[in-house]
Amino acid sequence: MEWIDVARVSVAANVAILSALTWVWARNYLAFRSKHSMGLAAFGAVLLAQNTLSLYFYLYHPVLAGWFATDMTPLAWRANVVVHAFQTVALGFLLWVTWD
Amino acid sequence: MKAALRYVLTGTRGGPNRVRILRALDDRPRNANRLAEHLDLDYTTVRHHLDVLRDHGVVERTGDGYGTVYYPTDGTRRHWDLVEEIAEGLAL
Repeated sequence: MEWIDVARVSVAANVAILSALTWVWARNYLAFRSKHSMGLAAFGAVLLAQNTLSLYFYLYHPVLAGWFATDMTPLAWRANVVVHAFQTVALGFLLWVTWD
Repeated sequence: MKAALRYVLTGTRGGPNRVRILRALDDRPRNANRLAEHLDLDYTTVRHHLDVLRDHGVVERTGDGYGTVYYPTDGTRRHWDLVEEIAEGLAL
C-alpha cells in the first residue's frame, strides 16, 4: 500500500465520521435552534468541507491528484499521513461520545 | 453542570428525547415504564437515556426494580432555566 492510499483511506474515514457527526448536530440544531447546537453543526460542516476538499485533491483534481500520486516524496507523505490519522482518531472519539 | 447539561441535551444523538424525558420527570417523577408510555417511546430507549442522564448527574433514582422512580438532581434544578431555554425551540 502506497502512502497516498493510506492518506486516502484516512481522509475518507474522516469524511464518513464527520458526515455522521454533522448529521446528529444539524438535526439537533433544527430541533433546538440554540447557539450551542448551531456551533457544533457549523464546526462539523466546515471540517467536513475541509476533508472532502482534501479527498478531492487526492483522488480527482486534474493536476493535484497526479502530483500527489507521483511527485510527493515518502518523507512528505509520512508527515501528511500522521496528521490525517491523528484527526481520524480524534474524530473517532468524538463520534463515540456523541452517538449515545 | 451547565456544560454537562448543554452537552448531554444538545450535543448528542439522543438529545431531543432526553429533553422531553427531563421535562416529564420535572412535571412528575415516574418509572421508566410510565415514562415510555407517556412519551410514546420504546422502553429500552428510555432506559438507555435514563442511564446516560444518570451518568452525567442530571437525574437520580429512588428504590429499585419495577418501582424505581427517576427525578431531576438538585444540580439540574438549580439550572432549570437553562433546560427551559434549551427546550424553548423544541416542538414537543
